[in-house]
Amino acid sequence: MVLLFIENFRISLSAVFANKLRSFLTALGIVIGVLSVTLMGTLISGLDRTFESSMSWLGKDILYVSRYEWFSGMEWWEVRNRPRMRTEYVDKIKERSDYALTVSPVMQRGASLSFEDKKARTEIFGTNEDYMETITTNIVQGRFFTRNEDRSGSRVTVIGDGIKEAFFGDKDPIGQYIKIDDIKFRVIGVLEEQGKFLGLMSVDKQAILPLGAFKRIFSKRGWMRLSVKVPPDKMDESLDEMYSVMRHIRGLRPDQENDFAINQTKLFENQYNTLKMAIAGTGYAITLLSLIVGGIGIMNIMFVSVKERTREIGVRKAIGATKAMIMGQFLMESVTICSIAGFVGLFLAYIFSVFINKIFPSTLPITLSIYAILMSMTVGIISGFIPSYRAANLDPIDSLRYE
Amino acid sequence: MILISLKNIYKIYNVGGEEVRALDGIDLDIKNNEYLAIMGPSGSGKSTLMNMIGCLDTPTSGAYEFEGEMVQIMDDSQLASIRNRKIGFVFQTFNLLPKATAQHNVEIPLVYANIQKSERTTMATNALESVGLLDRLHHKPNELSGGQRQRVAIARALVNEPSIILADEPTGNLDSKSGSEIMQILDDLHKIGNTIILVTHEDDVARHAHRIIRLFDGKIIEDSKQDS
Repeated sequence: MVLLFIENFRISLSAVFANKLRSFLTALGIVIGVLSVTLMGTLISGLDRTFESSMSWLGKDILYVSRYEWFSGMEWWEVRNRPRMRTEYVDKIKERSDYALTVSPVMQRGASLSFEDKKARTEIFGTNEDYMETITTNIVQGRFFTRNEDRSGSRVTVIGDGIKEAFFGDKDPIGQYIKIDDIKFRVIGVLEEQGKFLGLMSVDKQAILPLGAFKRIFSKRGWMRLSVKVPPDKMDESLDEMYSVMRHIRGLRPDQENDFAINQTKLFENQYNTLKMAIAGTGYAITLLSLIVGGIGIMNIMFVSVKERTREIGVRKAIGATKAMIMGQFLMESVTICSIAGFVGLFLAYIFSVFINKIFPSTLPITLSIYAILMSMTVGIISGFIPSYRAANLDPIDSLRYE
Repeated sequence: MILISLKNIYKIYNVGGEEVRALDGIDLDIKNNEYLAIMGPSGSGKSTLMNMIGCLDTPTSGAYEFEGEMVQIMDDSQLASIRNRKIGFVFQTFNLLPKATAQHNVEIPLVYANIQKSERTTMATNALESVGLLDRLHHKPNELSGGQRQRVAIARALVNEPSIILADEPTGNLDSKSGSEIMQILDDLHKIGNTIILVTHEDDVARHAHRIIRLFDGKIIEDSKQDS
């Protein structure tokens, strides 16, 4: 059996390569099918990785209290009519909530930073001393500011890795003074490198200031959110409690709607999963379609191949081939075309994935690649079955007479 | 020793509602090392008889024994195995695989007999040597003359050391010189002990045989021995 298998494989290869253009055109559907499914896998693997690292930056055990809901599609004027978050809420939440471990107010705005002759346009954050509790990033150099520095309005700042690289290179930034919108701040710490959030916006080019100084210098009434750290195993309870705490703070009557929003990273996950399903759905639909079209093409070409080689089938039967052997020969041919097509598709996908990897980190998933090859072989078996069956059951006498 | 025994063989086709008796009660015994020619005009049933003997066709009724085995009750794989091991076909149109070399063509029956590659090569080379084509091992059919192609076909028929060689108009597509070369090879094969069955309508070819069977309308009308 093994010998026959090898022989059949040889016959198949020579049949495929004898009709290169025909085989290529026939197999195109399978190539595209494999290409689309593996590229989809690559894309999703990349998105997964980017998403994970971005999510770890946000922190899963944090409730974000602010004026608007993420992904709610609220109109700007509705958001605008809601009251702002206030610094006083920090203490009120701490007082009323059983679950809140730390509460950190965050204000944000764009600013231009400069050091000597170097300039950078970036985002600056004003927050309190508990901020580090609500993010997963660490300080790699120096320290974070203290409660006293916040209260006294000290002009100190913790900078992102990107700013440090741009301004100081290998030099020690601690104790140096940088200018934020022309006001001097002393650098006291550097944040760990983060990479890009969702592959889009860099979080490494930022500067964090004590809220006291931020409000005094930049804006008293800017946009603010509150990051509330809660126990990770009590997310749902904490969320419920936070709603009632906030309603109480805002003095809302039972019949009034919430004029604030509480977000969590789960919302990102939901949004992301929807996106992922859309990509996967499109990928699978393209794959399925091209495999069906490709399979029909393979079946068609196998009918032609059987017809062309009717006489050969007669001869083979006359010199001792059984039905099963003839069937095996033609099935092998169709599986060979499909497998070669599968490998070509995979090879193309690999080349594409190298380019995709340059845009955001991703890999061609190995298991998916194996499945893609198995899938193309299956298409070969399915679409080669009827032509092979027909070949196997040809009458040897008629076949020998076939011109 | 009786190699082939046909008893009361009928092959009846239904063509357009009309019954056609291609073989109409054939009784025939063929012994080991016979040199037999089957003759008859076209439509006499000689091709049908050859296909029957060659196990490519099965009778509508009657008994066919090949070396004592009942052929008419065999299934596809048993028939294929008989064709593979016991029968060597030589066709009028050679029927070589055009893309395969002479050597590979001769090896194909051995592939179906599940013989190892190295052994196959040796056996195919020997068979081609015995028909004088040792210098044409790696030529493809279109690089060979008609006579050489038919010799490759004979080598393919011989390679499994079959019990009989069935040659259907083996010189029909050849010029007279190549034709007589082919007949010489068949004569030689007979001399070294092979059983040969020729199907022909040419007297010149049939003259090589030692026994001639004439068919007409599916019946044997003459069965004569001759000296050569």
